Parts: sequence; C-alpha cells; structure tokens
Amino acid sequence: MHPIFVLYRKSCLLFLKNKVAVVITFLVPIILIYLFGHVFGLYRTESGPSGIRIAVVNQSSEPAATELIDALRKEKAFRLVTEAENADGTKRPLTEADARAAMHDNKYRYTILLPPDLVRENAIGVHLKFLSDPRNEIESQMVNGLLQKTIFTNVPQLLGKSLQLQAKRLIGQENLTAFNRTVADAVANHFGGDREKIYQSISGGDFGIGALTSHKKGQSTEGSAGLRRLDTTAGSNPGNAAPAAVPASPTEESTTEKKAGGFLSRIVSFETEQVSGKQVSNPMAARTVGGYAVMFLLFALSGSATSLFEEKRSGIFQRILSAPVRPSHILWGRFFFGMTLGIVQLSALFLAGKLFYHLDLWPHLLPLAVMTFAAAAACTAFGMFVAAVSTSPDAANGLSTLLVLTMSAIGGAWFPISMMPEAIQRFSKLTLVYWAVEGYTSIIWAGQSLLEVLPTVGILLGIAVIVMLVATWCFQRNKMFE
Amino acid sequence: MLTIKSVTKRYGDLVALNDVSLEIAPGEFFGLLGPNGAGKSTLMSLVSGLRAADSGDIFVSGQNLRDASGPLRHELGLVPQSIALYTDLSAQQNLELFGQLYGLRGKELRRRVDEALDAAQLTERRRDAVKTFSGGMQRRLNISASLLHRPKLLLCDEPTVGVDPQSRNAIFDHLQRLNREGITIIYSTHYMEEAERLCSRIGIIDHGRILALGSLDTLLAQLPFEDEITFPAKTETEALAGELGALGEITTIDGTHRFRPPAGFPLSRFFALAEARSLSPRLFTSRRPTLEALFLHLTGRTLRD
Ligand SMILES: Nc1ncnc2c1ncn2[C@@H]1O[C@H](COP(=O)(O)OP(=O)(O)OP(=O)(O)O)[C@@H](O)[C@H]1O
Ligand SMILES: [Mg+2]
Repeated sequence: MHPIFVLYRKSCLLFLKNKVAVVITFLVPIILIYLFGHVFGLYRTESGPSGIRIAVVNQSSEPAATELIDALRKEKAFRLVTEAENADGTKRPLTEADARAAMHDNKYRYTILLPPDLVRENAIGVHLKFLSDPRNEIESQMVNGLLQKTIFTNVPQLLGKSLQLQAKRLIGQENLTAFNRTVADAVANHFGGDREKIYQSISGGDFGIGALTSHKKGQSTEGSAGLRRLDTTAGSNPGNAAPAAVPASPTEESTTEKKAGGFLSRIVSFETEQVSGKQVSNPMAARTVGGYAVMFLLFALSGSATSLFEEKRSGIFQRILSAPVRPSHILWGRFFFGMTLGIVQLSALFLAGKLFYHLDLWPHLLPLAVMTFAAAAACTAFGMFVAAVSTSPDAANGLSTLLVLTMSAIGGAWFPISMMPEAIQRFSKLTLVYWAVEGYTSIIWAGQSLLEVLPTVGILLGIAVIVMLVATWCFQRNKMFE
Repeated sequence: MLTIKSVTKRYGDLVALNDVSLEIAPGEFFGLLGPNGAGKSTLMSLVSGLRAADSGDIFVSGQNLRDASGPLRHELGLVPQSIALYTDLSAQQNLELFGQLYGLRGKELRRRVDEALDAAQLTERRRDAVKTFSGGMQRRLNISASLLHRPKLLLCDEPTVGVDPQSRNAIFDHLQRLNREGITIIYSTHYMEEAERLCSRIGIIDHGRILALGSLDTLLAQLPFEDEITFPAKTETEALAGELGALGEITTIDGTHRFRPPAGFPLSRFFALAEARSLSPRLFTSRRPTLEALFLHLTGRTLRD
C-alpha cells in the first residue's frame, strides 16, 4: 500500500473518531442552514415566521377595523393580543398605554394602533400606527410587510373607503352622492339588484362587490356574470362561463371574495411580492447553503490541518519520516483527505438544502460536482496554508477563525455582497468564498452549464494550486517536517 | 553497523553536535549518556535520516546515508523520545498503520502486530485507545511500534522517561532479549544506572561533544581515583570537609560531601582524620565511583541539572 494511501486512511479514521469534528463539519452547518432558512423565509411551501406576538389597540369606530383585526387573527404568522388584564383578573380592551408599557417590559415587540382616523379624509390609504421595538430591525421589516399584505388582501373595503373619502374631498359631498347614485343606478340597470343597497355599499367604499355577492344569494341573475366579468379582467374565468343557475353556496361566495381580494392585491402587487418572496427563495437558498457549507468546510479543514502541530510535537512525524515516507507523502495524504472531507461535506449540505428548500440539484449534477471538486481543493489548500504560516496550533486556530469569518463575510457567504459598501466589495473577489458562492449560485439559481462556470472553477483551482505552493514553501521554511 | 565520521550539526548559531565520530559494531548495545540538551536526540535524528548533517558522514551497513536513504530506512528503527502514537486510535490500529508504512500487509502484518502487542504485554488492551493507557503501557507500545519491520539497528531515544520501575524492568528485559537476538541498539539516556546496567559500551556526550567512550570498566579507569567516600554535609563535618580539600577532590551536591581521594590514598588515613573529630564511621560510605562521578570529573557538573 502506498504511504500516501496509508496516511490518507489514517486521517479519515482520526476524523471519524473525533466526534466534535464530525459534529462541527456536518451537524452544525445543517442545523444552521435549517435555521437561517427560517429567518430568511427560504421555504417554498410555507414562508415566513409564525406566532409573532402582536398587540392590537383599536381606537377606531370603523366597522372595517374589526374586520381588519379578524383578518390579522387569521394570519398564522401573528398571535394577537387585544386585551389587557385588570388587577382583579378581568379583561379589558387594550389601550395604547397598556401596549407601550408591555412593550417596555418586552412582553411583545409590536403593536398596531388603529387610530380614530383609521381612514383619513386627506390621504389615500389606511392610516395605521405601527409600534415596533427597534432591537430587531429585520423582524420588524418582515412584520411590516406581512401587515401590509394582510391589509391589502383581506380588507379591501378600507381602501375603498379611503378612495371614497378622497373623492368627497376632491369633488364635494353632493357631487359624490350624485356620482355614487349614478353608478348604483347603472349597476342596478345593467346587472339588476337593489338600487338602494348598491348605493349604500358603494358609498361605504365597497364598490358594490360585497353587495353584489350577497345580492346574488338565492337569485340567479346576470349580476353574478357581470361580477365575474369584472373579475376576469384580472385574468381568471371567461366571462360567459357563468351559467344561469349559479348555486348560492357559501363556497361560491368565498371564492368570489377571494378573487376580489386578489384583484385588489394586484393593484398593490409589488408590495405583496416582496413578502411572499417566492422568487427570491432560490438564489438566497443556494447562497445560504453554499456559503455556510464553504465556511464550515474551511473551519473543519483548517482545524484538521492544525493537527499537524500535534503530530510534530508528539514525535509522530519522526516516526513516520524515519520509515520510507517523504514529507510530500504526508502532505498529499492530507490533501486527499481534505478533498474527501470537502466533497462529502459539500454534498451532504447540498442534499440538506434540497431537503429544506427543494434546491434543484439533479438537473445540474455535473457542474455541481465539478464546482464541489474545485471548492474542496481550494478549501483544503487554505487549511494547509493556515497551518503552514502559523507557529503553533493556537496561532493557527486564531488565524483561521479570523480569516474564515472575514472571507465568509466579504465573500458573500452570509448575504449578497451587493449589500456591502463598495470599498469592501472590491476585496470580495480576493476570497475563495466569493468564487465558491458565486459558482454555486450561478449553477443552482441561474442554471449555468458546466461550460459557463468553467472560469469560476478555474479560478478556484488556481487558488488551490497557488495557496498549496505557498503552504509547501512555508512548511519547508519553518521545518515542519524535521 | 554504524559509522559516524566528524559529524557537525548546527541550529542557527547553536552547535548541537560538534565533530562527533563514533563506530558501532553489529550486535552492540551502545549507550549514549548525557544531560539535557547534550545533543542525544539530534544525533538520533541524523542517524535516522530525519535531518541532514551540516558536515561529516554517516554510514549504515557501509552505505552513506546521503546517497541511499530510502532502502536503509528498513534497517533502522527509531523509538522517539516522546510517545509518537495516535492516542485516539487503538494500540492495534497504531501498529497496523506504522507497519503499513513499511509496506507490511495481510497475514504478515497481522502476525507482526500480534507479536508486537505480545511483546508490549498489551494483547488484552489491543482494541483500547492509546490515550486510555498508563504511561508505562504507552512507552512499551512506543517501542514495539518501532520494531514491526524488524530493524537491524534500533535507536532508542530515552525510552523510559516517566516510567515506573516495574515497567522499566520489562522494557530493559525486552531490549536485552532483542539485543541477544542480534539487533544492534543505541540507547540514549541521562540515567547513568541505565547505561551501566544495559550497555556494553557507553559514550558520554555533553554540549555536542563525545567526552569519553568505552566499556564501563575502561571509562571508570579514566578516573584518577578508585573510591568515592560520601558523607552528609553537617556542621560537625564541615571541618573535616575543609581538611579533605587539600588531600583530594571534594564536591558538595544536595547536602552530601563527595570525597575522591587520589589513587593509592590509604583509607586508614581518612578514618584516622574522622576519628580525631569523633565522627561516627556510620556517617561514611565508601563505594566504587560511578559514571556520575566520571561525568562530574569531566565536566564539573552532574548529569541531572
Ligand atoms: N529544532 C531545533 N531547533 C533549534 N535548536 C534545537 C532544536 N532541537 C534541539 N535544539 C538544541 O540543540 C541542543 C541539543 O538538543 P537535543 O534535543 O539533541 O538534546 P538531548 O540530548 O536530546 O536533550 P534531552 O535529554 O533534553 O532530550 C539543545 O541545546 C537544544 O536546545
Ligand atoms: Mg532528547
């Protein structure tokens, strides 16, 4: 058996005996990738957080306010707090003072105030007050987004009301009444229904949707067909598909409402897009998996390279090198071990990524394999380099922690480098993490072929060769193998 | 078996070996006796090919180490000064690994591993991690691991450091048995008792120089005295010690006066002096001088500083 292979097998054996190393190399990154997925909402099926406590203080007399609260209650991300407890244990509606005190005590971090002027006369939109604890900016951004989504999709009446108020401000109450009457008449003439009811709901901001749907109950008129037509302009059923007999079932009603909500949410679609985050999930997942995998691989490999010091100190190198073994055999044995560890670890983490985020791996198997090979080589060389330039295991550990964290941060393992100042971005490309993460993202997200990622692969292999040469030179200089 | 010719080795400015020459015949049990930092390990590392000498040549079985280090390594076995084992691996895994590095495999490897475990008296603990072993057990395995490939020349660098007397005796027996079977052994130590007990020939080394070389008897014959009288350093013996200084060599180490009278000095004269001061004869011990005394005589220092 060749000494390189004997030494390689020894490294594998020692690694498997070292439970801490195994946990750090495989378990910790998998758990972290899982957790970070939750934080960034990378899951395709169900995105976002759950059970965030939110206090709701209702100061508005608007009936839509109650509807809004009910809608918020249905949002699974939130757990609403609407009542405070009196000293005698009875409950009372939450006041702003209660909420502020509770937030101060860190009982919850968010409060939604529905002020008396929930629907203002001088501005379009719904006026809400959102109190958040600035301690967690990311979370409050997320909660903010979810709130907007809930408001836009579930309580369209509020927006309609707001529009009505605007109209009143602009054209005056009389003109508005006249306008609403005209519209109500027109609707009733064309689609049938109770003139007065339609008028009431239009001036209530409902645009007649709710009135029409309730009006439709028990009656099969063209009204429902007309409504459908309105809805299909936003792209669903063909208008003439409405049969004469539309069953007046609750199901029908709810789907219609949903469509109406969908219609309105399309008006503000750019808002909801951001929070649902389906389109951003993949590149972020590829980045998260790739970035964390590479980071932990760097830790694992530089950690294992520091065992060179232990082997030197204990005299094992003396024993090995007095046998027919050359220093280059030791280095090659380690290199192949590092490659194996890297390939196994990266593969395991990407499989975990597939499990958690449904990363598309199979169509890109070949470029992924080549990229993994190159990334493992570069990481292995880095581990050797850290051991080679250090004088003691402690120095090596310190140096590797510093370098790995810096490289991961500026190389874009944690977040896209575009989020960083330009001055720092210029250094990103000097890190192997950058190239590994770029490579993985462009394969999994952009679907690049092997040919397209070859330059990145080449750069990583180039880094591996250069770093390895420097490491070998340093080993010789500091007489690691004497 | 081994010829060392004018070998010099420097670490920067420090001269670790200074023009060392040695000739070791096949079958010898050669002792290299010297204090810490004398250059023993450095000499071992040069002979085992881990380092190159700055000048001079080393021949093993007539071949210069510089020219043919590869095949010569099969003839050499090095027992490093420290426990050169993977302590997370089991005894058996260690032995298999080091055996494989010498190209052993299959049945032959298994047989030699069994033998080595047996010699180290570790057959029953073969599957236990080395880190669970006592110091003595680790030392025994450290030696056995260097014997798997059956070297002709075994270099033992202080193989009994930190070992209890019982394990030490087991190691001595093992090495002596190997030597009887024909293996040439170079044994470095700073314990003169070990060198005296084991070695057929001894070299005394200090500051990178071989100060004396020969069998125990020839070495001791270099001393200008035949006896050494020791007595405790107390107030009542001070006057005597002062007087003896004029008659021979006297040194005081660890509360003990050591008087070395010149050859031919009549002991009766010494006891007369002691009697004159009413000192009990029981305070005095007379004995044959040891290598320790020789080292002291040569360097003015003790082996253990
Ligand atoms: N790698 C090295 N670099 C620099 N100096 C060294 C190195 N190895 C040994 N020395 C120095 O060379 C001298 C001889 O060291 P060596 O280890 O050969 O002594 P030794 O006789 O084995 O001592 P000990 O009984 O303590 O093991 C010492 O002064 C030591 O400090
Ligand atoms: Mg030594």
